[in-house]
Amino acid sequence: MNNIIIGQYIPGTSYLYKLDPRSKILSLVLLMVATFVLDTMTGMLIFLGAMVILLLSGKISITRVLNGLKPIFVLLMFTFTFQALFVTTGTLYIDEILHFNYYTITASLLVFLTWFFSKKYIKYSILYFLLMIVSIILVLIYLPQGTDFASTPLQIYQGGVEGALFIMMRLIIIVTLSTILTLTTKPTDLTLGLEKLLKPLKIIKISSEEIALIISIALRYIPTLLDEANKIMLAQASRGVDFKEGKLKDKIVQIVSLLVPMFIISFKRSDELANAMEARNFVPGQRRTRLHVLLWHKLDSYTVLLSSLVFVFVIVITVIR
Amino acid sequence: MAIKFKRVNYIYQGMDGTPFRALKDINLTIEEKGEFITLIGETGSGKSTLVQHMNALIKPTSGQVEIYGIKIEETKKKSSKIKLNPLRQKIGLVFQFPDYQLFEETVERDIMFGPMNFGISKEEAKKRAKEVIQLVGLETGYLERSPFNLSGGEKKRVSIAGILAMEPDILVLDEPTSGLDPKGRDELLELFLSIHNKLNNTVLIITHDMNTVYQYASRVLVMNDGNLVFDGKPIDLFASPKLSSWNLDKPDLIDLCDKLSERLNITFENYPKDLEKVVARIKAGYHE
Repeated sequence: MNNIIIGQYIPGTSYLYKLDPRSKILSLVLLMVATFVLDTMTGMLIFLGAMVILLLSGKISITRVLNGLKPIFVLLMFTFTFQALFVTTGTLYIDEILHFNYYTITASLLVFLTWFFSKKYIKYSILYFLLMIVSIILVLIYLPQGTDFASTPLQIYQGGVEGALFIMMRLIIIVTLSTILTLTTKPTDLTLGLEKLLKPLKIIKISSEEIALIISIALRYIPTLLDEANKIMLAQASRGVDFKEGKLKDKIVQIVSLLVPMFIISFKRSDELANAMEARNFVPGQRRTRLHVLLWHKLDSYTVLLSSLVFVFVIVITVIR
Repeated sequence: MAIKFKRVNYIYQGMDGTPFRALKDINLTIEEKGEFITLIGETGSGKSTLVQHMNALIKPTSGQVEIYGIKIEETKKKSSKIKLNPLRQKIGLVFQFPDYQLFEETVERDIMFGPMNFGISKEEAKKRAKEVIQLVGLETGYLERSPFNLSGGEKKRVSIAGILAMEPDILVLDEPTSGLDPKGRDELLELFLSIHNKLNNTVLIITHDMNTVYQYASRVLVMNDGNLVFDGKPIDLFASPKLSSWNLDKPDLIDLCDKLSERLNITFENYPKDLEKVVARIKAGYHE
């Protein structure tokens, strides 16, 4: 409960930090669209290289970005496997048969169990998992064969591998781009930037200030509410609620005993906040000065210009082809 | 002894990740019977953290808390086999804010919640609810009301009733009288005193009110910046020269007596515990 980090912002001093949030958000949107439009392998590789240069020059540790990729790892694996297995264009790379017989199944199980019991001692868990999968596949292909009771062909084509790599790179680039934004921009600056950028929505009667206010209040109250939830759990635990164990029926009571006070306290807090804001004469949408004013520098103009150029270039290339 | 702290430290991570030492090397023993303890100290001095160790809600970072012979230590293993729940029935802890614990539809069901978690039958819990609601000074009519439509003071009483219904051996209360009017405060303190007198059970109260310390407590603990700096009789505490350095002040009666002896030269052999005795002493002095 205590280890939850709100936002990913890490203080730093590189040029990525000095950029105005508006230019960063704009560039992010432009580059993301460009990544989606781009459909050549060479282009993708150039983009990926540019990403690495961006990270290095911005002094952002690559391991941290890789950590950011962890949540979508499962998604990546899925898309890769499906692409690789089901696209059947181009030349045939691998044409083997997976044998299922007593030998291979026992051996696979052994591999799996070894992995299962040793995984907590291995540092690179994802790589180790991949190693396990690969060795199971190898076992299924090459182990001395008895009588199979089932077998499936494993055919991988060039088109499949390329498509899989392509989609993986696209996802990685997009996640890296957004990670760069969240790593280098404070949540408050981010909402402020959004507020400014969404200003034109006023024409269709959507107030960007209110949206930004809602976001920043929500962000502000996440730690407070977590703290509150913790205290409620302690208070209920001292009345004999054991949050760690219990049958399903008990679990429901436990959750209710946590949620009801949570709701009551949140409503109370929002009521108090609204009163406090009103007491200080807060009127949404009214012009007001700010403690931190966003400043647009030359660097910001260059950044947006460069991103726009990339965007236009990619569009033109794609259309011509 | 019921609760024993041995060199207990507690460190927690702040929101920005910096460690904060909430308790520093606490050694403390609390008996099951016969003590009426008050725990005082500045806000943020570690009082609440200390009492949360007493029913094993949190475990010490280092050191050991022994509760009814069960040793509680920071264990590296994820699942320690010790059952902590029975301890929480024996040591009833009332939190400062009733909003953290009230959640049922009616006051009655909320009071019954604690006892029933510890395996008390529904009928028995109902009976207890009826008893304790009167103990805390509310009418039985309150049992049918929703706990959320009560005033702050009434909520507080209901939350105390919810713990009393568990019939704990030791009662620990975190600022039970905050947010109450003077009359309600005195009523509740008298209630704790009568529970203490009737069953001779230990009661521990966190408070900021020196008058409570002076008039009710048989023992007082002072926390300062995570350290337990005083453990003894209230009268010795108020005679201590360090009192103001712990940001504490003297109770009204002692203050009055000191001023009387300073300005009017009316001296007291022992500090009196109620105003009547002061009046009697002044009258006697007047006749001299």
